[in-house]
Amino acid sequence: MSVNLGLAQVSGDFLVAAIVIYSLAVIGFAGDFAFGRPRRAKAAGAAVASGEHAAQLATVGAAQGAAQGASGGGVSEAPGASDLADGAQAVPADAGSGGTGSGDAGSGDAALPARQVPALRAIWEAGPWVRVAVAFSALGILLHVVAVVTRGFAVHRAPWGNMYEFVTALTCVAAIFFCYVMVRYRAWALGVFVMGAVVIALGLAETVIYTAAGPLVPALQSYWLSIHVTAMTLATGIFFVAAVLGVMYLVVERYRARVAAGKAQPGNGLLARIPSAAQLDKLTYRTVVFGFPIWTFGVIAGAIWADQAWGRYWGWDPVETWAFITWVLYACYLHARATAGWRGRRAHYIQLLGFASLTFNMLVVQVFITGMHSYAGVG
Amino acid sequence: MTDVHTPREQAAAQGEETVSFGTTETEPDATDSGAGTGPSAGWLRWGWRQLTSMRTALVLLFLLALGSVPGSVLPQQGADPAAVQQYYASHPALAPWLNHLGLFNVFAAPWFAAVYLLLFTSLVGCVVPRTFKLAGSARTPPPRAPRNLGRLPHSASFPSSLAPGAAVDAAAALLGGQRFRLRRPASGDSGHWVSAEKGYLREAGNLLFHLALLGVLVSIALGGLFGYKADKLLVEGQGFSDTVPALDEFHPGRLVSGSDLAPFSLTLDRFAASYLTSGESRGQPSDFNATVTYSSSPGAPSRTYNIRINDPLSVDSTKVYLIGHGYAPVFKVTDSHGNVAYNEATPFIPANTGTFLSDGVVKATDASLGFMGVFVPTAVSVGGTLESAFPADDFPAVSLIGYSGNLGMNSGVPQSVYQLNTAGMTKVAGSPHLMLPGQTWTLPGGRGAITFVGVKQWVSLAITYDPGQVPALVCGMLALGGLLLSFLVRRRRVFVRAVPAASGGGSVVTVGGLARTDASGGFEEEFAELAAELAAQQKPEPNNQSEAGA
Repeated sequence: MSVNLGLAQVSGDFLVAAIVIYSLAVIGFAGDFAFGRPRRAKAAGAAVASGEHAAQLATVGAAQGAAQGASGGGVSEAPGASDLADGAQAVPADAGSGGTGSGDAGSGDAALPARQVPALRAIWEAGPWVRVAVAFSALGILLHVVAVVTRGFAVHRAPWGNMYEFVTALTCVAAIFFCYVMVRYRAWALGVFVMGAVVIALGLAETVIYTAAGPLVPALQSYWLSIHVTAMTLATGIFFVAAVLGVMYLVVERYRARVAAGKAQPGNGLLARIPSAAQLDKLTYRTVVFGFPIWTFGVIAGAIWADQAWGRYWGWDPVETWAFITWVLYACYLHARATAGWRGRRAHYIQLLGFASLTFNMLVVQVFITGMHSYAGVG
Repeated sequence: MTDVHTPREQAAAQGEETVSFGTTETEPDATDSGAGTGPSAGWLRWGWRQLTSMRTALVLLFLLALGSVPGSVLPQQGADPAAVQQYYASHPALAPWLNHLGLFNVFAAPWFAAVYLLLFTSLVGCVVPRTFKLAGSARTPPPRAPRNLGRLPHSASFPSSLAPGAAVDAAAALLGGQRFRLRRPASGDSGHWVSAEKGYLREAGNLLFHLALLGVLVSIALGGLFGYKADKLLVEGQGFSDTVPALDEFHPGRLVSGSDLAPFSLTLDRFAASYLTSGESRGQPSDFNATVTYSSSPGAPSRTYNIRINDPLSVDSTKVYLIGHGYAPVFKVTDSHGNVAYNEATPFIPANTGTFLSDGVVKATDASLGFMGVFVPTAVSVGGTLESAFPADDFPAVSLIGYSGNLGMNSGVPQSVYQLNTAGMTKVAGSPHLMLPGQTWTLPGGRGAITFVGVKQWVSLAITYDPGQVPALVCGMLALGGLLLSFLVRRRRVFVRAVPAASGGGSVVTVGGLARTDASGGFEEEFAELAAELAAQQKPEPNNQSEAGA
């Protein structure tokens, strides 16, 4: 079947539109940063007044609030109170004797704002800048999805057969997954960072590695393309979000440490908007926990495909080797969280190292190192 | 592993320096070792604890990642031996050192094996005790309810119309219905409470994941011992039977001999490659198709099959893959007396995989003639140089350089069929000579003649047998299943206590909850729902309330 060039053109146009709309969303999130009212600081202030038992009361209040389906003054204090608890307590240690890939005891301590208010209402209450930014993000995602789908119809296959298509698809996953996380945890302040990174990645894809729509080489003509590469695309998009969260954790944690050491003034307006270090830590962990099995599945699917196409399920091809390194590094991160002396900053460094190896695999190994996975079609 | 999770112990656990795999880390203490064991036993135990500690596992994981890096950066013997040769040629001083360190064969190097074997030893040392521990905890009931449930991470309190004992009974029934494991006060205990625990599958999944990884390693070893890999180059019309002498290369596993090969035979009838003829990626291949006739054993009926890139031929449990292709121009060489000294299709190796400009040699030993040739499937002249414009054989041509003299084939030194040793030979006048199919080049001086008869294609096939394949896949899927279980299931405890109400006949019920591991989150919501259900179950009836108020 030949390529439908008209449809490919439509796909390209939709992608450009998506980049423009995403950029507007980033401006919206940035506007919230600059001009929005400082939500967290206010809520925390309210909680300080109610004293030491605020966190506990809030948890009870949350439980009862959820039970009765009620909302209002008492309930809306809960997130702020949880924030206070975060500030007061370190990342909880695993109370048991630890465990391979565990280390997440006492989920109440660093509780993320739960769903006490319906999502749409929460967006509305977050202020005009967030309202506009979320609306633009949703519209951008819609255009982005249309761009990916039309590209798929234009080439009659899963639209991730070369590097350009792969980046286009993985940023789509990252945008969708991030918006879910943002709405779920009311983490509006993260928007400017993650959506900003998505815009940059898409812009580079469009300008540096653009590849015209075309049919695939015989090695890629397999239904395993849609299984293996889809899993890798999903996992990469999710790890992308985890990496941005990890960087933010390091920034917030560094600021917290500086305040503790008396080197910085508390009450930095920008950092006050971002979730606390403990919340970011937990969010990063959950994101990696979501991505890791998908990556594992992608590697297994890749091995099955390699067996079918090349006669061996694992041959230490450069791309396979780096997929393995990435897997081991994320496994390191999961274990580090359960190891004394490795929690917090060090664990996040490992997680970022994992994402660095993933990026290196995608942008350097696949493009510049000759191997059996040299399908990037760049240059 | 701590069994009772009172807040006090939580605080103690937070101060704990090291969370080890299964045992607590202590310095070796010779006096600590029991009677009859020497000081070395203490050190051994200390060494074992070190090895099975999480920190060591973490370091070994790091080393595994780090050790893999040279395997992707440097050429590897297993994947591309020619690239290793080339590296030797371009880095003559460095290459022998790298070779000593095993860096050209990282994944078979002793130090790499040491890292992963230590890691798996550490894993076994952790997983086995934990399996026993899990089996033990599956038989012991949950811990007694802590006194002050309000100090647990999650708690809720509500009034009940029931008496304390009845209220706890009702709560226990509800929790039991949700498949919690329960513990009630023993006959001597005071107070009304119930402890409930759920989510043992989390630890089971965790253990399954680690054991399955061990299974993957064993499967790989199985393939390395009992499997084999072989390569065979076949020109259209040629066939072979799967025996060691007939194969070009044979890499048997450690416990495989030539007699273990599957007894099939196979003939390449036709090979077809198609390429894109227009557009930006003109010349990109769009399909490869090798039509073969095979029989699974001598005397078995022969069948035909189209081997394609993602569609290997399976004969019993052996698979035949299409891994490469090229052109084999057919030459006929006659000697000075007119006798045919050479008449066969000669595989040429592609020098450019985009245009299939290929190199090869013809060795007509009996005529004392040798030729080095360049073959182009679609000939064009670029500034007087022969080039190929397209990978398909639309307008094939060869350019030959002839040599006469002794080819040195009887010297006893092995020679590559793709290289001509021209030392001691003289170049034939008129070289290089361009030929189209059907043309004959009569060599000057009555030395003979060569005819470019036509063009055939060759394919290279990989024949593999790997008995570890299916076990590796099963273990991989089990590992994934274990991973999902350990991430999705949370081990949690719920405690319910009831005390008589300050006034009236009801009671005050307190519910406390604790998730020991909550990787994917959501215990907060679950606890809230559970607390709501418990409260709804024991809601004071309106008339009761009015009575209490009266």
